[in-house]
Amino acid sequence: MNNEQARFILGAYRPNGRDAGDAVFCEALRQVKADPGLGAWFAREQAFDSAVSAKLGAVIPPPGLREAILTGGRVSTAAPRPLWRLAPWLAVAASVAVIFTVAATYWIWSAGSGRADLGQMTRFALTDPFSAHTGPHADKLGALGAWLEDPASRISSGAPVDLAQLKAQHCRTISVAGHEVFEICFQRGSWYHLYLARRGDFPAGKNAGAPVFLEQAQRSAVAWADERLAYVLVTHGGTEALRRIL
Amino acid sequence: MGSDTFTQLVDANYAPLYRFALSLAKNQADAYDLTQQTFFIWARKGETLRDSSKAKSWLFTTLYREFLRGRRRDVRATALEDLPPDEADPPAPAVDVVSAMDAEVVMNALQEIDEVFRAPLTLFYLEELSYQEIAQALDIPVGTVMSRLSRGKSQLRAILAQRDKGARGNVIPFSAQRLRQTP
Repeated sequence: MNNEQARFILGAYRPNGRDAGDAVFCEALRQVKADPGLGAWFAREQAFDSAVSAKLGAVIPPPGLREAILTGGRVSTAAPRPLWRLAPWLAVAASVAVIFTVAATYWIWSAGSGRADLGQMTRFALTDPFSAHTGPHADKLGALGAWLEDPASRISSGAPVDLAQLKAQHCRTISVAGHEVFEICFQRGSWYHLYLARRGDFPAGKNAGAPVFLEQAQRSAVAWADERLAYVLVTHGGTEALRRIL
Repeated sequence: MGSDTFTQLVDANYAPLYRFALSLAKNQADAYDLTQQTFFIWARKGETLRDSSKAKSWLFTTLYREFLRGRRRDVRATALEDLPPDEADPPAPAVDVVSAMDAEVVMNALQEIDEVFRAPLTLFYLEELSYQEIAQALDIPVGTVMSRLSRGKSQLRAILAQRDKGARGNVIPFSAQRLRQTP
Protein backbone atom coordinates (compact mmCIF):
# COMPACT_ATOMS: atom_id res chain seq x y z
CA MET A 1 0.00 0.00 0.00
CA ASN A 2 1.46 3.35 -0.98
CA ASN A 3 0.74 6.63 0.80
CA GLU A 4 -1.85 7.68 -1.78
CA GLN A 5 -3.84 4.49 -1.17
CA ALA A 6 -3.47 4.92 2.58
CA ARG A 7 -4.84 8.47 2.36
CA PHE A 8 -7.75 7.28 0.24
CA ILE A 9 -8.72 4.63 2.81
CA LEU A 10 -8.11 6.79 5.87
CA GLY A 11 -10.41 9.44 4.47
CA ALA A 12 -13.25 7.18 5.66
CA TYR A 13 -11.83 6.81 9.18
CA ARG A 14 -14.19 8.57 11.59
CA PRO A 15 -12.54 11.08 13.91
CA ASN A 16 -14.29 9.64 16.97
CA GLY A 17 -12.13 6.49 16.75
CA ARG A 18 -15.05 4.09 16.37
CA ASP A 19 -13.35 2.52 13.34
CA ALA A 20 -10.18 1.60 15.23
CA GLY A 21 -11.06 -2.10 15.24
CA ASP A 22 -11.85 -2.28 11.53
CA ALA A 23 -9.32 -4.47 9.71
CA VAL A 24 -9.56 -2.36 6.54
CA PHE A 25 -7.87 0.55 8.33
CA CYS A 26 -5.20 -1.46 10.19
CA GLU A 27 -2.54 -1.51 7.48
CA ALA A 28 -3.07 2.16 6.67
CA LEU A 29 -2.80 3.06 10.36
CA ARG A 30 0.46 1.10 10.65
CA GLN A 31 1.77 3.10 7.74
CA VAL A 32 0.75 6.33 9.48
CA LYS A 33 2.92 5.37 12.44
CA ALA A 34 5.86 4.47 10.23
CA ASP A 35 5.79 7.54 7.96
CA PRO A 36 6.03 10.94 9.71
CA GLY A 37 4.81 12.81 6.61
CA LEU A 38 1.73 10.63 6.36
CA GLY A 39 1.31 10.90 10.11
CA ALA A 40 1.26 14.70 9.95
CA TRP A 41 -1.28 14.60 7.12
CA PHE A 42 -3.48 12.19 9.09
CA ALA A 43 -3.34 14.37 12.22
CA ARG A 44 -4.44 17.41 10.17
CA GLU A 45 -7.17 15.41 8.44
CA GLN A 46 -8.53 14.08 11.73
CA ALA A 47 -8.46 17.52 13.35
CA PHE A 48 -10.33 19.04 10.40
CA ASP A 49 -12.88 16.19 10.34
CA SER A 50 -13.33 16.46 14.08
CA ALA A 51 -13.97 20.23 13.85
CA VAL A 52 -16.57 19.76 11.08
CA SER A 53 -18.27 16.94 13.02
CA ALA A 54 -18.49 19.13 16.11
CA LYS A 55 -20.13 21.92 14.08
CA LEU A 56 -22.61 19.52 12.52
CA GLY A 57 -23.46 18.17 15.96
CA ALA A 58 -24.15 21.72 17.12
CA VAL A 59 -27.09 22.11 14.71
CA ILE A 60 -30.14 22.02 16.96
CA PRO A 61 -33.37 20.45 15.67
CA PRO A 62 -36.36 22.80 15.78
CA PRO A 63 -38.46 22.82 18.94
CA GLY A 64 -41.45 20.54 18.81
CA LEU A 65 -39.94 18.03 16.37
CA ARG A 66 -39.43 15.35 19.00
CA GLU A 67 -42.97 15.69 20.33
CA ALA A 68 -44.43 15.65 16.82
CA ILE A 69 -42.52 12.46 16.01
CA LEU A 70 -43.63 10.74 19.21
CA THR A 71 -47.26 11.65 18.66
CA GLY A 72 -47.18 10.65 15.00
CA GLY A 73 -45.53 7.35 15.88
CA ARG A 74 -48.10 6.49 18.50
CA VAL A 75 -50.93 7.28 16.12
CA SER A 76 -49.49 5.23 13.27
CA THR A 77 -48.63 2.29 15.53
CA ALA A 78 -52.33 1.99 16.15
CA ALA A 79 -52.89 1.07 12.49
CA PRO A 80 -53.22 -2.75 12.19
CA ARG A 81 -50.76 -4.81 10.15
CA PRO A 82 -52.24 -6.62 7.15
CA LEU A 83 -53.40 -10.09 8.12
CA TRP A 84 -51.77 -11.74 5.11
CA ARG A 85 -48.35 -10.82 6.50
CA LEU A 86 -48.87 -12.80 9.67
CA ALA A 87 -48.39 -16.50 10.28
CA PRO A 88 -51.68 -18.40 9.69
CA TRP A 89 -52.31 -19.21 13.36
CA LEU A 90 -51.50 -15.67 14.29
CA ALA A 91 -53.85 -14.47 11.58
CA VAL A 92 -56.67 -16.52 13.05
CA ALA A 93 -55.95 -15.14 16.52
CA ALA A 94 -55.75 -11.63 15.09
CA SER A 95 -59.05 -12.12 13.26
CA VAL A 96 -60.75 -13.14 16.48
CA ALA A 97 -59.22 -10.14 18.22
CA VAL A 98 -60.32 -7.82 15.42
CA ILE A 99 -63.87 -9.16 15.50
CA PHE A 100 -63.91 -8.77 19.27
CA THR A 101 -62.48 -5.25 19.03
CA VAL A 102 -64.97 -4.21 16.34
CA ALA A 103 -67.82 -5.60 18.39
CA ALA A 104 -66.56 -3.87 21.53
CA THR A 105 -66.03 -0.59 19.69
CA TYR A 106 -69.51 -0.79 18.20
CA TRP A 107 -70.92 -1.45 21.65
CA ILE A 108 -69.05 1.51 23.14
CA TRP A 109 -70.03 3.68 20.19
CA SER A 110 -73.66 2.68 20.54
CA ALA A 111 -73.46 3.58 24.19
CA GLY A 112 -72.39 7.03 23.15
CA SER A 113 -69.28 7.10 25.31
CA GLY A 114 -66.51 6.34 22.80
CA ARG A 115 -64.32 9.15 21.39
CA ALA A 116 -61.11 7.22 20.89
CA ASP A 117 -60.69 7.77 17.16
CA LEU A 118 -61.72 11.41 17.06
CA GLY A 119 -59.40 11.71 20.04
CA GLN A 120 -56.52 10.45 17.89
CA MET A 121 -57.21 13.10 15.32
CA THR A 122 -57.37 15.73 18.07
CA ARG A 123 -54.10 14.62 19.62
CA PHE A 124 -52.47 14.82 16.23
CA ALA A 125 -53.84 18.32 15.63
CA LEU A 126 -52.63 19.50 19.03
CA THR A 127 -49.04 18.54 18.23
CA ASP A 128 -48.98 19.09 14.47
CA PRO A 129 -46.11 21.49 13.61
CA PHE A 130 -48.34 23.70 11.50
CA SER A 131 -45.87 26.61 11.64
CA ALA A 132 -43.74 24.80 9.06
CA HIS A 133 -46.53 24.39 6.51
CA THR A 134 -46.37 25.85 3.09
CA GLY A 135 -49.81 24.88 1.72
CA PRO A 136 -52.44 27.39 0.59
CA HIS A 137 -54.26 29.37 3.26
CA ALA A 138 -57.99 30.03 3.32
CA ASP A 139 -57.73 32.97 0.92
CA LYS A 140 -56.69 30.51 -1.81
CA LEU A 141 -59.58 28.15 -1.17
CA GLY A 142 -62.46 30.00 -2.81
CA ALA A 143 -65.93 29.90 -1.26
CA LEU A 144 -64.92 27.76 1.71
CA GLY A 145 -61.99 30.04 2.52
CA ALA A 146 -64.18 33.14 2.31
CA TRP A 147 -66.80 31.46 4.51
CA LEU A 148 -64.22 30.53 7.14
CA GLU A 149 -62.89 34.09 7.32
CA ASP A 150 -66.34 35.69 7.32
CA PRO A 151 -66.93 37.10 10.85
CA ALA A 152 -70.58 36.07 10.62
CA SER A 153 -69.86 32.36 10.00
CA ARG A 154 -70.22 29.86 12.82
CA ILE A 155 -67.68 27.16 12.11
CA SER A 156 -69.66 24.34 13.66
CA SER A 157 -72.74 25.01 11.58
CA GLY A 158 -72.53 23.68 8.06
CA ALA A 159 -69.24 24.71 6.52
CA PRO A 160 -69.49 24.30 2.70
CA VAL A 161 -66.83 21.60 2.53
CA ASP A 162 -66.09 19.56 -0.57
CA LEU A 163 -63.13 17.27 0.17
CA ALA A 164 -62.54 16.43 -3.52
CA GLN A 165 -62.31 20.13 -4.30
CA LEU A 166 -59.93 20.71 -1.39
CA LYS A 167 -57.67 18.04 -2.80
CA ALA A 168 -57.78 19.63 -6.24
CA GLN A 169 -56.82 22.95 -4.65
CA HIS A 170 -53.71 21.31 -3.12
CA CYS A 171 -54.98 21.72 0.41
CA ARG A 172 -52.50 20.20 2.85
CA THR A 173 -53.34 16.55 3.61
CA ILE A 174 -51.88 14.41 6.34
CA SER A 175 -52.22 10.69 6.93
CA VAL A 176 -53.38 10.01 10.47
CA ALA A 177 -53.75 6.33 11.36
CA GLY A 178 -53.85 5.66 7.63
CA HIS A 179 -56.71 8.08 6.97
CA GLU A 180 -56.70 11.33 5.05
CA VAL A 181 -56.96 14.52 7.11
CA PHE A 182 -57.15 17.98 5.47
CA GLU A 183 -55.84 21.10 7.14
CA ILE A 184 -56.86 24.69 6.38
CA CYS A 185 -55.32 27.78 7.99
CA PHE A 186 -57.42 30.90 8.31
CA GLN A 187 -57.43 34.13 10.27
CA ARG A 188 -60.19 35.80 12.21
CA GLY A 189 -58.30 37.94 14.68
CA SER A 190 -56.35 34.88 15.81
CA TRP A 191 -54.93 32.26 13.48
CA TYR A 192 -56.90 29.03 13.35
CA HIS A 193 -56.15 25.61 11.89
CA LEU A 194 -59.14 23.51 10.88
CA TYR A 195 -58.59 19.76 10.43
CA LEU A 196 -61.22 17.89 8.45
CA ALA A 197 -61.73 14.20 7.79
CA ARG A 198 -64.49 11.83 6.74
CA ARG A 199 -66.50 10.95 9.77
CA GLY A 200 -66.37 7.26 8.86
CA ASP A 201 -62.58 7.36 9.17
CA PHE A 202 -62.69 8.85 12.66
CA PRO A 203 -65.85 7.60 14.26
CA ALA A 204 -66.97 9.20 17.47
CA GLY A 205 -69.94 8.59 19.72
CA LYS A 206 -73.53 9.40 18.93
CA ASN A 207 -73.15 12.57 20.91
CA ALA A 208 -70.13 13.71 18.88
CA GLY A 209 -72.06 16.72 17.65
CA ALA A 210 -71.37 18.29 21.02
CA PRO A 211 -67.98 20.03 20.82
CA VAL A 212 -65.24 18.81 23.16
CA PHE A 213 -62.60 21.36 24.22
CA LEU A 214 -59.00 20.44 25.03
CA GLU A 215 -55.84 22.36 25.87
CA GLN A 216 -52.22 21.29 25.56
CA ALA A 217 -48.93 23.20 25.47
CA GLN A 218 -50.40 26.65 24.70
CA ARG A 219 -52.72 25.24 22.07
CA SER A 220 -56.46 24.95 22.42
CA ALA A 221 -58.57 22.58 20.39
CA VAL A 222 -62.20 21.75 19.92
CA ALA A 223 -63.40 18.56 18.26
CA TRP A 224 -66.83 17.70 16.94
CA ALA A 225 -68.48 15.80 14.11
CA ASP A 226 -71.55 16.08 11.94
CA GLU A 227 -73.15 13.42 9.75
CA ARG A 228 -70.48 13.66 7.09
CA LEU A 229 -67.26 14.99 8.61
CA ALA A 230 -65.10 15.02 11.73
CA TYR A 231 -63.59 18.39 12.68
CA VAL A 232 -60.80 19.61 14.94
CA LEU A 233 -60.17 23.33 15.25
CA VAL A 234 -56.88 24.46 16.85
CA THR A 235 -55.55 27.87 17.84
CA HIS A 236 -52.95 29.53 20.01
CA GLY A 237 -55.60 32.11 20.94
CA GLY A 238 -57.12 30.09 23.79
CA THR A 239 -60.44 28.37 24.31
CA GLU A 240 -62.30 31.66 24.27
CA ALA A 241 -61.06 32.33 20.73
CA LEU A 242 -62.51 28.97 19.72
CA ARG A 243 -65.86 29.67 21.35
CA ARG A 244 -66.09 33.05 19.60
CA ILE A 245 -66.21 31.53 16.13
CA LEU A 246 -67.79 28.16 16.89
CA MET B 1 -43.14 -1.85 19.55
CA GLY B 2 -43.59 -0.51 23.06
CA SER B 3 -44.07 3.18 23.65
CA ASP B 4 -40.91 3.37 25.80
CA THR B 5 -38.80 1.63 23.16
CA PHE B 6 -40.10 3.96 20.48
CA THR B 7 -39.34 6.98 22.66
CA GLN B 8 -35.78 5.71 23.24
CA LEU B 9 -35.32 5.18 19.52
CA VAL B 10 -36.54 8.70 18.79
CA ASP B 11 -34.36 10.26 21.49
CA ALA B 12 -31.25 8.47 20.24
CA ASN B 13 -31.72 9.28 16.57
CA TYR B 14 -33.99 12.21 15.79
CA ALA B 15 -31.30 14.89 16.07
CA PRO B 16 -28.72 13.26 13.73
CA LEU B 17 -31.50 12.29 11.35
CA TYR B 18 -32.72 15.89 11.27
CA ARG B 19 -29.15 17.10 10.55
CA PHE B 20 -28.86 14.61 7.71
CA ALA B 21 -32.25 15.71 6.37
CA LEU B 22 -31.26 19.37 6.61
CA SER B 23 -28.09 18.79 4.60
CA LEU B 24 -30.12 17.01 1.91
CA ALA B 25 -33.25 19.15 1.78
CA LYS B 26 -31.49 22.48 2.41
CA ASN B 27 -34.42 23.95 4.31
CA GLN B 28 -35.81 23.43 7.79
CA ALA B 29 -39.42 22.76 6.85
CA ASP B 30 -38.58 19.90 4.49
CA ALA B 31 -35.98 18.52 6.91
CA TYR B 32 -38.62 18.57 9.65
CA ASP B 33 -41.10 16.69 7.46
CA LEU B 34 -38.49 14.18 6.28
CA THR B 35 -37.45 13.35 9.84
CA GLN B 36 -41.03 13.01 10.99
CA GLN B 37 -41.95 10.91 7.96
CA THR B 38 -39.03 8.55 8.62
CA PHE B 39 -40.24 7.75 12.13
CA PHE B 40 -43.79 7.51 10.87
CA ILE B 41 -42.65 4.78 8.46
CA TRP B 42 -40.72 3.11 11.28
CA ALA B 43 -43.83 3.04 13.43
CA ARG B 44 -45.70 1.30 10.64
CA LYS B 45 -43.01 -1.01 9.29
CA GLY B 46 -40.02 -0.96 11.62
CA GLU B 47 -41.27 -3.85 13.71
CA THR B 48 -40.55 -6.14 10.77
CA LEU B 49 -36.84 -5.47 11.33
CA ARG B 50 -35.68 -8.43 13.40
CA ASP B 51 -32.22 -7.14 14.26
CA SER B 52 -32.82 -4.08 16.44
CA SER B 53 -29.12 -3.18 16.27
CA LYS B 54 -29.73 -2.20 12.65
CA ALA B 55 -32.46 0.28 13.53
CA LYS B 56 -30.14 3.26 13.12
CA SER B 57 -29.01 2.22 9.64
CA TRP B 58 -32.61 1.50 8.73
CA LEU B 59 -33.67 5.00 9.76
CA PHE B 60 -30.93 6.73 7.77
CA THR B 61 -31.62 4.51 4.75
CA THR B 62 -35.32 5.24 4.93
CA LEU B 63 -34.81 8.98 5.27
CA TYR B 64 -32.52 9.02 2.25
CA ARG B 65 -35.00 7.00 0.17
CA GLU B 66 -37.82 9.28 1.21
CA PHE B 67 -35.72 12.26 0.16
CA LEU B 68 -35.05 10.71 -3.24
CA ARG B 69 -38.68 9.76 -3.63
CA GLY B 70 -39.76 13.26 -2.78
CA ARG B 71 -38.03 14.91 -5.67
CA ARG B 72 -37.19 13.98 -9.16
CA ARG B 73 -33.50 13.28 -9.55
CA ASP B 74 -32.07 15.72 -12.02
CA VAL B 75 -29.63 14.88 -14.77
CA ARG B 76 -26.78 16.53 -12.96
CA ALA B 77 -27.11 14.36 -9.90
CA THR B 78 -26.96 11.14 -11.90
CA ALA B 79 -24.09 12.25 -14.08
CA LEU B 80 -21.74 13.45 -11.37
CA GLU B 81 -19.81 10.18 -11.25
CA ASP B 82 -18.55 11.06 -14.71
CA LEU B 83 -16.99 14.30 -13.64
CA PRO B 84 -13.21 14.46 -13.98
CA PRO B 85 -11.31 14.02 -10.72
CA ASP B 86 -10.22 17.10 -8.84
CA GLU B 87 -6.78 18.19 -9.86
CA ALA B 88 -5.52 18.66 -6.34
CA ASP B 89 -6.80 19.04 -2.83
CA PRO B 90 -7.46 22.70 -2.20
CA PRO B 91 -5.81 24.02 0.94
CA ALA B 92 -8.04 23.41 3.94
CA PRO B 93 -8.79 26.29 6.26
CA ALA B 94 -7.00 25.93 9.57
CA VAL B 95 -8.84 23.86 12.15
CA ASP B 96 -9.23 26.80 14.51
CA VAL B 97 -10.84 28.75 11.66
CA VAL B 98 -13.44 25.99 11.21
CA SER B 99 -13.93 25.83 14.96
CA ALA B 100 -14.58 29.57 15.06
CA MET B 101 -17.26 29.35 12.36
CA ASP B 102 -20.94 29.17 13.25
CA ALA B 103 -22.52 25.73 12.90
CA GLU B 104 -24.91 27.30 10.39
CA VAL B 105 -22.02 28.41 8.17
CA VAL B 106 -20.58 24.89 8.15
CA MET B 107 -24.02 23.41 7.45
CA ASN B 108 -24.52 25.86 4.58
CA ALA B 109 -21.15 24.83 3.17
CA LEU B 110 -22.17 21.18 3.35
CA GLN B 111 -25.41 22.02 1.56
CA GLU B 112 -23.45 23.49 -1.33
CA ILE B 113 -21.62 20.25 -2.05
CA ASP B 114 -22.89 18.22 -4.99
CA GLU B 115 -25.60 15.89 -3.80
CA VAL B 116 -23.87 12.59 -4.60
CA PHE B 117 -20.99 13.61 -2.37
CA ARG B 118 -23.08 15.42 0.21
CA ALA B 119 -25.09 12.42 1.41
CA PRO B 120 -22.11 10.18 2.29
CA LEU B 121 -20.08 13.11 3.60
CA THR B 122 -22.84 14.23 5.97
CA LEU B 123 -23.31 10.67 7.21
CA PHE B 124 -19.55 10.45 7.76
CA TYR B 125 -19.44 13.69 9.75
CA LEU B 126 -22.44 12.67 11.83
CA GLU B 127 -20.18 9.78 12.91
CA GLU B 128 -23.16 7.54 13.49
CA LEU B 129 -22.49 5.07 10.67
CA SER B 130 -19.31 3.34 9.50
CA TYR B 131 -18.30 3.57 5.84
CA GLN B 132 -19.80 0.09 5.36
CA GLU B 133 -23.11 1.16 6.87
CA ILE B 134 -23.05 4.31 4.74
CA ALA B 135 -22.60 2.08 1.67
CA GLN B 136 -25.64 0.03 2.70
CA ALA B 137 -27.73 3.09 3.51
CA LEU B 138 -27.03 4.72 0.15
CA ASP B 139 -26.96 1.42 -1.74
CA ILE B 140 -23.53 1.99 -3.27
CA PRO B 141 -20.28 -0.03 -3.11
CA VAL B 142 -17.81 0.58 -0.28
CA GLY B 143 -15.16 1.85 -2.72
CA THR B 144 -17.62 4.40 -4.05
CA VAL B 145 -18.23 5.65 -0.51
CA MET B 146 -14.50 6.22 -0.03
CA SER B 147 -14.21 7.93 -3.38
CA ARG B 148 -17.18 10.19 -2.68
CA LEU B 149 -15.85 11.05 0.76
CA SER B 150 -12.56 12.09 -0.76
CA ARG B 151 -14.24 14.21 -3.44
CA GLY B 152 -16.76 15.62 -1.01
CA LYS B 153 -14.07 16.67 1.46
CA SER B 154 -12.22 18.43 -1.34
CA GLN B 155 -15.33 20.43 -2.17
CA LEU B 156 -15.98 21.19 1.48
CA ARG B 157 -12.44 22.44 2.03
CA ALA B 158 -12.71 24.70 -1.00
CA ILE B 159 -16.06 26.13 0.10
CA LEU B 160 -14.95 26.68 3.69
CA ALA B 161 -11.70 28.30 2.55
CA GLN B 162 -13.74 30.61 0.31
CA ARG B 163 -16.07 31.47 3.20
CA ASP B 164 -13.13 32.17 5.45
CA LYS B 165 -11.48 34.36 2.83
CA GLY B 166 -14.75 36.22 2.29
CA ALA B 167 -15.25 36.76 6.01
CA ARG B 168 -11.73 38.05 6.49
CA GLY B 169 -12.11 40.30 3.42
CA ASN B 170 -14.89 42.17 5.17
CA VAL B 171 -12.77 42.98 8.19
CA ILE B 172 -10.69 46.12 7.97
CA PRO B 173 -7.32 45.55 9.61
CA PHE B 174 -6.82 47.82 12.58
CA SER B 175 -3.54 49.18 11.22
CA ALA B 176 -5.30 50.35 8.04
CA GLN B 177 -7.83 52.41 9.92
CA ARG B 178 -7.23 56.08 10.40
CA LEU B 179 -7.50 56.99 14.01
CA ARG B 180 -9.90 59.81 14.57
CA GLN B 181 -8.26 62.53 16.51
CA THR B 182 -10.14 64.22 19.23
CA PRO B 183 -9.61 67.94 19.69
